[in-house]
Amino acid sequence: MVSPVLDSIVTLSIRADASDVRRASAWVEHVCREYGVPANEIARLDVCLNETLANILAHGNHAALSAPVILHLAVHDETPASEAIVTVSDAGAAFDPLGVLPRARPKSLAEVQPGGLGLQMIRSSADRLHYRYSEGRNQLSFAVRWSSSSSLDA
Amino acid sequence: MAIEFDDSKEKLRRITISGRLDILGTEEIATKFSALAASAQRRVIVDLTGVTFLASIGIRAIITNAKALQQRGGKLVLFVGENASVSKTLDATGIDDLIPMFANADQAEVAALA
Repeated sequence: MVSPVLDSIVTLSIRADASDVRRASAWVEHVCREYGVPANEIARLDVCLNETLANILAHGNHAALSAPVILHLAVHDETPASEAIVTVSDAGAAFDPLGVLPRARPKSLAEVQPGGLGLQMIRSSADRLHYRYSEGRNQLSFAVRWSSSSSLDA
Repeated sequence: MAIEFDDSKEKLRRITISGRLDILGTEEIATKFSALAASAQRRVIVDLTGVTFLASIGIRAIITNAKALQQRGGKLVLFVGENASVSKTLDATGIDDLIPMFANADQAEVAALA
């Protein structure tokens, strides 16, 4: 079956709470499956999405938590490599997570400090990351890529 | 989310977690997980073979319980079996360097009791 191409962007608006994080995951999975994104790449997007939303829930100010969080999803089905991109937009204070320096890995359990894991997971899961602050909103985009041949195997 | 335990082996508690260990899932099991990990046996295997998604909040819950157990002189190891997504996440975050992780159940048991 030839996957349809979703070059236009689809959008979902969610509340900044834990139950809607799960709703957002289900939405990304559903749309990506429909447009032929391989399972492994959907899983990587899911990690980035969950960690991005978790950061908003944990560190967002009143504006971030009271206004809707907007998700945009686009799939570009191209040869030799296709790409799915999710952008998460929130109304909180400007914060560029990509400007945060990665923490050194602790050498023992006793050294482990809370925090930083989510960003590490986003960095290791995404093929491309982009942040901008525009019109009063943080906009973090994460993209995953795959070869056309792996899409056929999914 | 589901969390169960098995104390059928002497000095060893096996805690089995299954489902999606995201924000909601971790909140659902956190209290019971901490209570079970504070095991009198002090040797614990956490079975993650049935975990379908592992978020950082779930990893933090594992780390917190492993640290607490270690401070009491106990030990916590992870059993992931063939769960590639969970082992990949633990590997990418370096957690497998801090908490022993095994694909083989027998090896996990030996390590927990060592």
